[in-house]
Amino acid sequence: MKAPFFVEVLHRNNEVRHRHRVDTLPARLGRGYDNDVILDDPHSSAHHAVLDQGADGGLLLQDLGSRYGITHQGRRLSEMSLDGSTIFRLGHTNLRIRFADFPVAAEMTDSMYCRWEGWQPAAAGISLIICLAVVGTWEGDAEKFELMRYLIAVVATLGLGMVWCGGWSFANRLFGGNTRLGRHLFILGCGLAAMELWSIACAAFAYALSFEMATRYGDHVQIAILATMVFYHLLQINPSRTRLFATASIAMSVLCSGLLLISNYNSDGRLADELFMHERFPPALRLSADKPVSAFLSNAASLKARVDEKRTKLENSDKVNGEDREEGDPQPGK
Amino acid sequence: MAFLLNLLPCPNGWAGDMTTGADQQKLSAPSSTAQRLYHAAQDDLLQLRILIRNGRAQSSVGSGFLIGTGNLVVTNYHVISELALKPKTYVGEYVDTHGKRGLIQLLALDVQHDLAVVRIDRKGTGFFKVSRESPLLKQGQYLYSLGNPLDLGFAISEGAYNGIIHRSFYDQLMFTGPINAGMSGGPSITVNGELAGVNVSKRLDGELVSFLVPIRFVRELLEKAAPLEMPPKDFTKVIGQQLLAHQAVMVDNLLASPFTIKALGVYKVPVRESDQMRCWGQSTDKPENPYTLERIQCGMESSVFISNELHTGQMSINHEFTKSTKLGALRFSEMAAKAFKNESFGNQKDPRLTGPECTEMFLNNGTLSMRAVLGVRAYRKYPGLYDFAVLTFSTDESLMNLQSRLDIKGVSYENGLRVSRIFLESIGRGK
Repeated sequence: MKAPFFVEVLHRNNEVRHRHRVDTLPARLGRGYDNDVILDDPHSSAHHAVLDQGADGGLLLQDLGSRYGITHQGRRLSEMSLDGSTIFRLGHTNLRIRFADFPVAAEMTDSMYCRWEGWQPAAAGISLIICLAVVGTWEGDAEKFELMRYLIAVVATLGLGMVWCGGWSFANRLFGGNTRLGRHLFILGCGLAAMELWSIACAAFAYALSFEMATRYGDHVQIAILATMVFYHLLQINPSRTRLFATASIAMSVLCSGLLLISNYNSDGRLADELFMHERFPPALRLSADKPVSAFLSNAASLKARVDEKRTKLENSDKVNGEDREEGDPQPGK
Repeated sequence: MAFLLNLLPCPNGWAGDMTTGADQQKLSAPSSTAQRLYHAAQDDLLQLRILIRNGRAQSSVGSGFLIGTGNLVVTNYHVISELALKPKTYVGEYVDTHGKRGLIQLLALDVQHDLAVVRIDRKGTGFFKVSRESPLLKQGQYLYSLGNPLDLGFAISEGAYNGIIHRSFYDQLMFTGPINAGMSGGPSITVNGELAGVNVSKRLDGELVSFLVPIRFVRELLEKAAPLEMPPKDFTKVIGQQLLAHQAVMVDNLLASPFTIKALGVYKVPVRESDQMRCWGQSTDKPENPYTLERIQCGMESSVFISNELHTGQMSINHEFTKSTKLGALRFSEMAAKAFKNESFGNQKDPRLTGPECTEMFLNNGTLSMRAVLGVRAYRKYPGLYDFAVLTFSTDESLMNLQSRLDIKGVSYENGLRVSRIFLESIGRGK
């Protein structure tokens, strides 16, 4: 363990806030100005602890009779031996002692593609957003061509996109040091493109194979795409917290899907997004075979049991709510 | 087509001018016959009011008349519907031409013909007689309609009988004379004082075009009501049975002859043109639009009144043909999909009906490939009755679309399926 030594004051998340160089031991830590390392912490004593070389050659920290002593992993100690990764607390301050020959980890691989920064991703993102706005407007435009409609759509989409990305850039500057606006624009563009592609692919798939489930629950995939987008936005702010952000995004996606299901059930009495599939595509896209009218009507006949069950349920719940209540009367408690 | 059932709901009745007794004399001066008839009939003429039990505020007002020398009063079902449906909330009373009041007891009703019989605590003088034979009416002959228009006071109005009309499933008499709100349930009589019918409704889009329920339906209902000591416990059940009977008549009538097949673009579509159903066509061919649209809409001009919120026993058929050469297959499909998405099968939170249950399929009826959705809802208070809706679009063309919709309300499940099948089998492609 070679000098010089470094006393590191840590954030709660263990990032280094300050680093004091100490060339010789023993060194005293405390709030007083006569210490080797001054702690700016009103909960630490004037002379709190002393750091010295122990008998075994390691580092030893001893309490100097302070009110709160040394805390390590929730336990109060009067002295403790330290290595380069032991974190202890004096008062409310988290500290760690490192030394000149402390081994450091190998350099990180660059997962951030530092060259894909600035105007390039910004241009790509903005182009994607403009394309999507134009395609989206064109798709639904069944009237006489008017340039203004397209311009308004482009401006509105870009404006909203800038607000979204501006928010992320602000957070990025605040917590990550850089704005990375270009990258946030690129992430938004990719996210929107994925959503548009999914909505077309899902509708076409459902129509081609008469697989209505795809349109009934397709919006949950959109929520997942949105959550993925948020994950990448967060990753720009702090690339090392992959696992945390992934967990948060998955949780958000599950939560939003749950909310969607609940709100569907509440308003329409079903979990699906729509009562029936409304998609229509040119006949060339049809893959499934047409069925005869009788098959359709036998399905229709089987609805009777379901709708009768609904009726019985409603009737029973009316009875529970008070038999005296008549249609249109104010409900009790309302 | 707007019909007004001549029920005077409050407070709308007061929205007009607040006419006082002095102003009543401004009503058109009655002929000497009218004077004689009113004088003879006035003791048996009543105003019926439905009041909220709690606080006795007036909810609706109509007219009625005592039959013979008994204590039975004939009126319209729609005058006393609240009494039938919500007897715990509403109470009924009568006011006669002398200002005497008393409670009324609902005894029998007939929703198909919009009639009801109530019992009161006084007897008639015998002016209004329901004879075994209905009076023979000739077109153009004078009829006199009595009642309490707009809650202003009792009145008699003169008009002409103009034959039997078949727009509803049951005959009604056309009366070319003023029937105003509040006169519903009042009698219409001939010069000789014979009962011709019961005032029921007027057309809002016409002048003096009013309708009477023929007296033979009154006779039928009185025959059922007269022997009754006590009214049925639950009128909802009675209404349910009558609605079931009505839908059987309605569907048999609608399907008595095959649907008329009309050409719409390249397609052939089924419509029903009869006394009860009317069809209207519409074409939007604006040169600036990149598509053309043609529409046929058929609807029934009458429905069965159950309450202000619930009218049933109706059918409608709509077809919409769109075509484009400028839009391209993708955008045309998108446009058609949007129109299809706009169609609704009704609300989950409707107090009258359950939410819809749906089935959907790509199908081919032998001549045309289409996408079809069928939605069905059950009436909450009337078991065995359903609303059916069938929605289709053609899937055989990339730049042409036929979107069709059939709605049939208040039918049995079997009849709903029966009409749906015929509808689906009749849509086709022309040569």
